Amino acid sequence: MYLMADILINVILAFLAGSLLLGLHRKIMARIQLRPGPPIIQYLLHSLKFFFKESSFPKTASMPFYIGIVVILAGIWVTGVIVGPVTQGSLMIIFGIYAIHKIVEHNSGSSSGSPYGKVSCVRAVFSAAGELPLFACIAILFLITGSMNISDIIAYQAVHGPLIYTAPLAAIMFFTLILTKSPYSPFAITKGKDIISGFETEHYGFLRGFIMLSESVAWYILLWLFLTIFFGPIGIIGYVIGMIVITAITAFINATTPMLNPNHSVMAQFTITLVCLVGSIVMLLIL
Amino acid sequence: MSITTIGGDLIGTIPLGDIVLYLNPLHLFLFVTIIVFTILIAVSRTETQVEAMFGSLDENKVSVGLKEFKHRRFLAIICGIATAGAMITGDLFNFTLFMALIGIVNIGIVSAVKQIDVLDSAYQYGLIAMMCGLPLFGGAAIILASTGTLSLFKLAMMPTVAPMTIFGALMMLVGIAGESGIAPFFASKAEMFRTPGSPFILIIHLSSLFIIVRAVEILLIIIHVI
Repeated sequence: MYLMADILINVILAFLAGSLLLGLHRKIMARIQLRPGPPIIQYLLHSLKFFFKESSFPKTASMPFYIGIVVILAGIWVTGVIVGPVTQGSLMIIFGIYAIHKIVEHNSGSSSGSPYGKVSCVRAVFSAAGELPLFACIAILFLITGSMNISDIIAYQAVHGPLIYTAPLAAIMFFTLILTKSPYSPFAITKGKDIISGFETEHYGFLRGFIMLSESVAWYILLWLFLTIFFGPIGIIGYVIGMIVITAITAFINATTPMLNPNHSVMAQFTITLVCLVGSIVMLLIL
Repeated sequence: MSITTIGGDLIGTIPLGDIVLYLNPLHLFLFVTIIVFTILIAVSRTETQVEAMFGSLDENKVSVGLKEFKHRRFLAIICGIATAGAMITGDLFNFTLFMALIGIVNIGIVSAVKQIDVLDSAYQYGLIAMMCGLPLFGGAAIILASTGTLSLFKLAMMPTVAPMTIFGALMMLVGIAGESGIAPFFASKAEMFRTPGSPFILIIHLSSLFIIVRAVEILLIIIHVI
């Protein structure tokens, strides 16, 4: 009973905090570009609004997959909340959740029959290179701490100090992943404006509501994970400050960096991963 | 033990002699997800691709015929079942067999398409998958030769790891990367997704990513004592 309440509270918290952080992200980007920008609460209002708007489905869509795929997206990020803040389980499951997120990008694009979604679908295959920094990062963490469980990693940091000092290059790899998932990211090739909104183009009404809800929760979970596995037990105020700072940094990068083309995006992620992985291994051997 | 520190606490084991099947939260999550996807794929109809025609106001609709639909749905379901098997197996050799089966049905899913670019892509992917069969099975064979077992449960309890075992694990990694068509081999595979036929083509990508997640767990189990 307590577990169910814990899950429910954490999911609502993740949705609200994630929505406000994404709203803040948009606001900071606008101010950097000398625009007033929408209110910070706008993303949250948009997400709620879509649940009450009229929904329509393309005649060419692959039903019921077209609907099921976004419900799965919401489901996996609720699982992310359970594995992360609630039970502090294995990072490997988070890795799996992130892989399914890629699948959803892939197939919500192709299931509508839209050519924009199809191009986004093909790009999603390329952008699976975003998995590489995450894999390399958690492998390094495993070699240092001897465990994939978040609770063990927190306990390790309580004794040995924050991992950001021991594995700074792994933190850079994880930050690359966060940057990839941030709105208007230079690596967000699946949602490039040359393909309208990519895989989201043909999802309206409550389906878009599910997508926006999932993106809010995903953003919160990624920031929570970064702060937890690199800074250890930092308390509520630490999390709030950390999440706002990371959101501001990504907003600054995204506002001043053009979107890369798919080949450059993949190679940039691949190069960052390779350099940081080799550097981390060298650091491990030396230290 | 590395099995619990990687995938979470053990939920249960099924000892079948040398091979011990085991289940932890990671396997359960991956297994349930792939089964849900496979069921959704089995009951869904395919998309119809719509593209504007050049030089006129007409549109071109490309759909999948009934015969091709049945053929691809069957192979997609087989691929889903093979992936589900790879998620819960506790035996390294079974994992490589599931991997090889996934590679074969991935090509089969797009083999009936009448688009030259897609068939070219499937052909190139097939060549890489065939070539990577050698390091895949060779790596598993080297691990068996150097440790005396293919049971992941027993490999996780090994007190030391021999250099040859690490070499075998790296060989397997190359084989898995090629068979599943991930970086740096995905260039041969991405064009396969241009074909109409969602949701069947989804299972190609899904199986690859899930295999990679499981492969990461297996490789970490093998090298855990470094």
